[in-house]
Amino acid sequence: MGSLEALAAQIQGLSSSAGDISRLHVILKQAEDSLRSESTRLSPILNQLDPSIHSLGYVYILEACTSIPISKEQAATLVPYIARFISFCVPEQVRLAPDKFVSVCKRFKEQVVLLEAPIRGVAPMLAAVQKLQSSSEHLTSLHPEFLLLCLLAKCYKTGLSILEDDIFEVDQPRDFFLYCYYGGMICIGQKRFRKALELLHNAVTAPMSNINAIAIEAYKKYIMVSLIHHGQFSTNLPKYTSSAAQRHLKNFCQPYIDLANSYSTGKIAELEAYIQTNREHFENDNNLGLVKQVVSSMYKRNIQRLTQTYLTLSLQDIANTVQLNSPKEAEMHVLQMIQDGEIFATINQKDGMVRFLEDPEQYKTCEMIEHIDSSIQRIMALSRKLTAIDEQISCDPLYLAKAGRERQRFDFDDFDTVPQKFNI
Amino acid sequence: MDFSLLTEPLASKSYEKIADICDNLLLQAAAEGVAYQDQWPYAIHLLGHIYADDINSARFLWKSIPSAIKESQPELVAAWKIGQKLWTRDYGAVYEAIHGFDWSQEIQGLVAAFSELYTKRMFQLLLSAYSTISIQDTALFLGMNEDDATNYVLRRGWVVDPASRMLTVKKQTIVTEQKLDATKLQRLTEYVFHLEH
Repeated sequence: MGSLEALAAQIQGLSSSAGDISRLHVILKQAEDSLRSESTRLSPILNQLDPSIHSLGYVYILEACTSIPISKEQAATLVPYIARFISFCVPEQVRLAPDKFVSVCKRFKEQVVLLEAPIRGVAPMLAAVQKLQSSSEHLTSLHPEFLLLCLLAKCYKTGLSILEDDIFEVDQPRDFFLYCYYGGMICIGQKRFRKALELLHNAVTAPMSNINAIAIEAYKKYIMVSLIHHGQFSTNLPKYTSSAAQRHLKNFCQPYIDLANSYSTGKIAELEAYIQTNREHFENDNNLGLVKQVVSSMYKRNIQRLTQTYLTLSLQDIANTVQLNSPKEAEMHVLQMIQDGEIFATINQKDGMVRFLEDPEQYKTCEMIEHIDSSIQRIMALSRKLTAIDEQISCDPLYLAKAGRERQRFDFDDFDTVPQKFNI
Repeated sequence: MDFSLLTEPLASKSYEKIADICDNLLLQAAAEGVAYQDQWPYAIHLLGHIYADDINSARFLWKSIPSAIKESQPELVAAWKIGQKLWTRDYGAVYEAIHGFDWSQEIQGLVAAFSELYTKRMFQLLLSAYSTISIQDTALFLGMNEDDATNYVLRRGWVVDPASRMLTVKKQTIVTEQKLDATKLQRLTEYVFHLEH
């Protein structure tokens, strides 16, 4: 116990300046094993430390405390400690030991889930993400943990806040897959289908040497969201998709591809019959809710198709074509689509007719200019980043070695001052 | 628990802020491990989401409330009824849900403000969706009796045909200021520079 006391004293003494902290870091790394062996007796030490000053020491001790499995009762006492630590800790100190911090936060997530109160973890995990990330463009291992807690606690709106950031740096590939998958689910919950599609698309097309389960589940949801949002789905994946995905994804998602094929016939009865026969499969995948949304989107799709053929149509004709029960039902469907901006039309109750209109957007207003401007700014920033990456790669030794080796000897250009072979 | 952050927006009728404030307070209370559920103003929280037209968040909030609390707070159930009617797009029933409960003093202002806002939103919807509409349906959508509804729309430029009990919708042209300033020229210069290099 004496060595622990000594360690606590060192933490308290060496936490004030940057130089002290580096020395403390070395000491802590050496003390790791002894901390692990004393993990059950570390709680009193925590009481002597202040998370807002001794963050680095605190995180090492917390990590040792949480490295052993604990019971529900122990979790109940530990969870508030960790929550307080996260809200008070100093980002500069915890970023010196990122994997320890991540480990503590992941155990924290497991504990709030064990206590069946995921909502307790939402605010602390968001704070943890913001303290760990070096910039808003950095995807940490804690992003998916935060999104998972939001999903479990049904705090979808809170989850949306971190999905708005553009990501340029990723710590681990698995984080990225989970971030896109959970993020997609949050967007689906908030009915932000365009953004959901973007995230799920990224999960499906991300580089992978072998097919992984996250990409498969993401593809299943991608198919359904594509039907809901675009009314169509194509099995063609973009060129930049990994060959593993191109070859194997479809095999795991056949029922969903068949669903899309049934959808494309435009016949509601057929679609519903297909879903009924395969109901259990969708239920096991936890996708039944989404499947129901696919069905209700079909009415919208069929009405939208009418706008391509007709300028005006009677409510009775709409009801007949789209298989609704009455002109009044058709009127309500059209009204809801107008409310959601999915169609441009006016209803003439006197004649019982609907007139389909063109999109009135003239793209001439100040707001539209602002919108286009911000998109251009965003793309320019992306373009600059790509140029920077391109320059970095051109200087990369591995790339130069390969490029140098592949060049033919005695090219006409070789009689320049450009060297043709690199010995690295 | 400190609800002082809520009193100011409620007093100044800035109801659009209620949902965000409630969300943050709830997450803070949950993080601290406080047993907040019994004292939490769920009805105000729910109505805050409804006011901000975020029915998805209202639904998720409703799902997360323990059933014991739902059973013991009739005002909360009445508040959710409004959300339910909005979710199923039962346009006329929303007004019934609004008027079908004797709201407590705290909530009255919020509900009345929402009712006004909803009427305005419905009127905008009718403007964009209908060229002609019956007086009966207009009254249903605006939550008024037929005479009041007719007067409401007549004041806004619509035309009534008493014989057929039909209203013709007239849109009022809104002119928004379209001003461009020098920063736009600066931006265009930046774009050209970027494209050239």
